[in-house]
Amino acid sequence: MDADSDVALDILITNVVCVFRTRCHLNLRKIALEGANVIYKRDVGESVVDLAAYTVSYGPRCRLTRVTGGLLSLNRSEEEAKFGARRLARSLQKLGFQVIFTDFKVVNVLAVCNMPFEIRLPEFTKNNRPHASYEPELHPAVCYRIKSLRATLQIFSTGSITVTGPNVKAVATAVEQIYPFVFESRKEIL
Amino acid sequence: MPGGGRCPDCGSTELVEDSHYSQSQLVCSDCGCVVTEGVLTTTYSDEGNLREVTYSRSTGENEQVSRSQQRGLRRVRDLCRVLKLPPTFEDTAVAYYQQAYRHSGIRAARLQKKEVLVGCCVLITCRQHNWPVTMGTLCTLLYADLDAFSGTYMQIVKLLGLDVPSLCLADLVKTYCSSFKLFQPSPSVPAKYVEDKEKMLSRTQQLVELADETWLVTGRHPLPVITAATFLAWQSLRPSDRLTCSLARFCKLANVDLPYPASSRLQELLAVLLRMAEQLAWLQVLKLNKRSVVKHIGDLLQHRRTLVRKAFRDGTAETEPQEKELQEQGQGHREGLCSSLGPGPGAEVRRNAARPGLEGVPSLGARERVAYIHIPWDGLSLRLLGEWRLSPAPGLNWIHYCCRPGGASLLVWSRWHFQRHQPSEDRTWAARPCVVHRPWWVPVYGVMRSSTS
Repeated sequence: MDADSDVALDILITNVVCVFRTRCHLNLRKIALEGANVIYKRDVGESVVDLAAYTVSYGPRCRLTRVTGGLLSLNRSEEEAKFGARRLARSLQKLGFQVIFTDFKVVNVLAVCNMPFEIRLPEFTKNNRPHASYEPELHPAVCYRIKSLRATLQIFSTGSITVTGPNVKAVATAVEQIYPFVFESRKEIL
Repeated sequence: MPGGGRCPDCGSTELVEDSHYSQSQLVCSDCGCVVTEGVLTTTYSDEGNLREVTYSRSTGENEQVSRSQQRGLRRVRDLCRVLKLPPTFEDTAVAYYQQAYRHSGIRAARLQKKEVLVGCCVLITCRQHNWPVTMGTLCTLLYADLDAFSGTYMQIVKLLGLDVPSLCLADLVKTYCSSFKLFQPSPSVPAKYVEDKEKMLSRTQQLVELADETWLVTGRHPLPVITAATFLAWQSLRPSDRLTCSLARFCKLANVDLPYPASSRLQELLAVLLRMAEQLAWLQVLKLNKRSVVKHIGDLLQHRRTLVRKAFRDGTAETEPQEKELQEQGQGHREGLCSSLGPGPGAEVRRNAARPGLEGVPSLGARERVAYIHIPWDGLSLRLLGEWRLSPAPGLNWIHYCCRPGGASLLVWSRWHFQRHQPSEDRTWAARPCVVHRPWWVPVYGVMRSSTS
């Protein structure tokens, strides 16, 4: 590759998982009965507030799951996650709970990236021994862990890469780091 | 030894201060009589210095080989004997099991996990010596399910920090094929189905290599591919009698389980062979289909290297004559590789025939909404969407291109590198120059693929 060629790849963030606290006791039964867009999953002990139809054009697809520690919200990007979480807290407030929105933290980011070439997985694993693990009998992808970023990448032979990391920056850095290795073991177009 | 003390029983002065379970006692070393005992109760300040000793430390259970560990080690040896592994493997596997057992996560695990751990240790040993054993065989031998096996396997590899090489395909082919019971006639196997082992092995290996080259093996479970390859090899060695036999029946005859993906692998392999057959002149005439190509597998395998290269390089060139026709018909067709971008209606195609061999390249300095670029060099004809300009002087060999508003990014792919740019943030027609260096006589390639966010 020439020195001044610059490759910019599309990294599509599919999911941002975040946690926030409401500082009040939430009555799940009340939410299930009175709230809008709620699915009450009894066996898991959770109450899921589903705001998929909240605003279709701009808004995030937002799903709130109440877990024992806090509330999780799934979303498309980090800022949207925060807005979505606030929106959900507001709807809980309307139900009558004294919700205080605190301790917002993004826990996990899931992104998908597509390489324009196909990748030779056995060669890739051989070159990247300690970090890459490939078991074709178990899973079709190579699992590559970057300890410093706490990121995991799943590299498929079609060239698509699924990255999970603690935040968006780590995910982007992980893709940048993996690119040269993946480029070495690509399938040459004959 | 305190002075002045005498044992009341034997009268010796040899009194030893001994502690019995942390209680200090004076004991006579001759007759063993306990002279004085220590204080049974402790003071408050003494208790502050005491430390609780955990059960595992006080009983020393970790230093000894426990009963379940012994059972596990026995099972490891039995498993090695069942699989008929060389004796050195046994010792290595036993060593791995002992090493794993030292970790508290394994020691406190359920018995089911310890069972599966036996299989994992054997698998790791075999993999390290390149002995082909699949996880499936181990699971059936241990009566375990694959999820438990895989979980324990990944855990143990991480715990022990091992570097396990991947499954060796060539050896797996040999062992798996040898397990097919088709080499001797028997009541269930009629004579015409019996096959010579060596021939079938070599042909299966060639077919598996072919599958490997054509990307049928990557990322998939190796066993169905080998089953499909064995089936094809067997059929092709005497096609007249064996074409009627189906894959399921073949596996039943050979006394081998049919893995579920094998039929789709078979179809894929046949498709690859058909494509290769199209390159051979004397086979093109015959108009082969999936059944008749089996007869010619021998020829195809003989020339497989050149055929694969030709078939899969020409594969991309096949789109070229189609695109040429589209060009002729005009701008009606927006489909193709760049369908997602789709220019607005009324976009015109202008072709510059000033330079021969560079048809479709717009005139210098012209701004085109849509342009067809014909690349005669290797036969790709693609479409570049968006605004772009050629460099102003013919000697200079760089182009600019701009992003289309609406956020799509374009890819310009050249022989030496490809580039892909994100749309500019303000989503206007701002030009984002992309410099592609190429010799002047090589026309620009068009867009291979574009993505819409």
